[in-house]
Amino acid sequence: MSFDWSFFWHYLLEPSSVYLNGLLLTVVLSVVSQLFGTALGLAAALARLATFRPLHMAARFYIWVMRGTPLLVQIVFIYTGLAAANILRFHDVHLGFLLIAGNVQAGILALSLNEGAYMAEIIRAGIASVDHGQAEAASSLGMTRGLLMRRIVLPQALRLIIPPLGNQFNIMLKNSTLVSIIGVPELLLITESINSATFRTFELYTVVGLYFLTLTTLWGLAQRGIEARFAAPSPAGAGAVAGRPRRFALRNLINAGSP
Amino acid sequence: MMGSVAESPAAAAIVAPKAADDVVVEAVDVHKWFGASKVLDGVSLSVRRGETVVIIGPSGSGKTTFVRCLNHLETIQQGVIRVNGHFIGYRLRNGKMVPDRPRNIARQRRDVGMVFQRFNLFAHMTALENIIEAPIRVRRIARDEAAATARALLSRVGLGGRENAYPAQLSGGQQQRVAIARALAMRPAVMLFDEPTSALDPEMVGEVLAVIRELAQDGMTMIVVTHEMDFAREVADRVVVMDKGAIIDSGTPHHVFVDSRHPRLRAFLAKTRFQAAS
Repeated sequence: MSFDWSFFWHYLLEPSSVYLNGLLLTVVLSVVSQLFGTALGLAAALARLATFRPLHMAARFYIWVMRGTPLLVQIVFIYTGLAAANILRFHDVHLGFLLIAGNVQAGILALSLNEGAYMAEIIRAGIASVDHGQAEAASSLGMTRGLLMRRIVLPQALRLIIPPLGNQFNIMLKNSTLVSIIGVPELLLITESINSATFRTFELYTVVGLYFLTLTTLWGLAQRGIEARFAAPSPAGAGAVAGRPRRFALRNLINAGSP
Repeated sequence: MMGSVAESPAAAAIVAPKAADDVVVEAVDVHKWFGASKVLDGVSLSVRRGETVVIIGPSGSGKTTFVRCLNHLETIQQGVIRVNGHFIGYRLRNGKMVPDRPRNIARQRRDVGMVFQRFNLFAHMTALENIIEAPIRVRRIARDEAAATARALLSRVGLGGRENAYPAQLSGGQQQRVAIARALAMRPAVMLFDEPTSALDPEMVGEVLAVIRELAQDGMTMIVVTHEMDFAREVADRVVVMDKGAIIDSGTPHHVFVDSRHPRLRAFLAKTRFQAAS
């Protein structure tokens, strides 16, 4: 076995700007897709809970397809498949100083759609965990369904949603590498392009592994901090009332922006 | 299954003429099924402004279901319910009652205060926030004004100074009193109490009943479902007895508890006395 230590240290500690751009793209892809995916998941969860049957069925179908097919297949299908069938082509978009490449758009779309299906189930479980009596009380006070969701149910569902949401983002960081298949220059594709020029596969894949380990570790620390503020100490199990300090934090977040 | 008013002659009569002004709640020939089992079998009740009606009856007699129909937490399959002169949950279209729009139902519920067996306070909000939430968001009352009203209501139910407590930090009796204040804050035309003391430890029953008694004395229109016979006898203007989804007797407390010879009522009362004694 030959392990080129100087090569390894060089790429680990003095990454090129190309490599750092790949890292940045990985983070941006993950964050943006997680945000879209969460929004999509909320919409799908509410649709699943809707009494209007077509809406309910559409949400179930979406969740069924997205959870039942490989993410890699979804990525290629959305970018290459749809273009090949002349259904949809992703063109580069210029937003002044920012250029968003077509394959980046497709990658974000695929990751978001996939994430939305998993988030839908997580959010649905969170909503179901809130005591139905509170929703009835809110209705009896004349609150509409939308208002009681926003003010009563979702703020309390959040504390059950946050821990799995953190877990999903950890997965998202790693799954974002799959968009390398459609040429999005994120960390793995950059690594692979350096690999094809140097053939130092062992060293390069150790480095990229360590980079991802660093990302997920940092996120893990952040997650612990977030959960400490949101998650219930739960002396009485699920459905137990949230403790005090956390509730303030939660309320601040929910109320941010609203008068 | 969603029947029409037309099928029910008694209900049809009520659709046309407007209810008398002093009638706040009017239920005519209300029928309800849960699947195949009939839980309400032609219940009619009318409650005048300022009246306290107490509904008693054995478990499963439909009294809770009936009260829940009065603000449309339960659908009905036949009959008519009017609160404050408006149909609740349904509207008239071409002589038939059809389900109303959610927004209209929400609007009508503003005028019907409801107190639940299990309090159902919003767990993530303080006592004060529980009370001001609907006045601010639904009635569009300014926060300061809503908070002032809420504080007055809290002291009225004996909880002045506990405004920053979360439900988990309050006893059952205190939670129920906050729940009463929350319902009152909407200035409802009628208050519905669904077994308000059934989930309470015995030593807390009195404090909640005292609040309800005071409301009765202040002239609030109320419908109270309860198992507290002494309370019913003392506070009710009228006692309604339900059994097997129907009203089997009603009248003054004296009539129901002393005079009535209705066999099922006597059997029910004998049983509750036995339980109270043991």
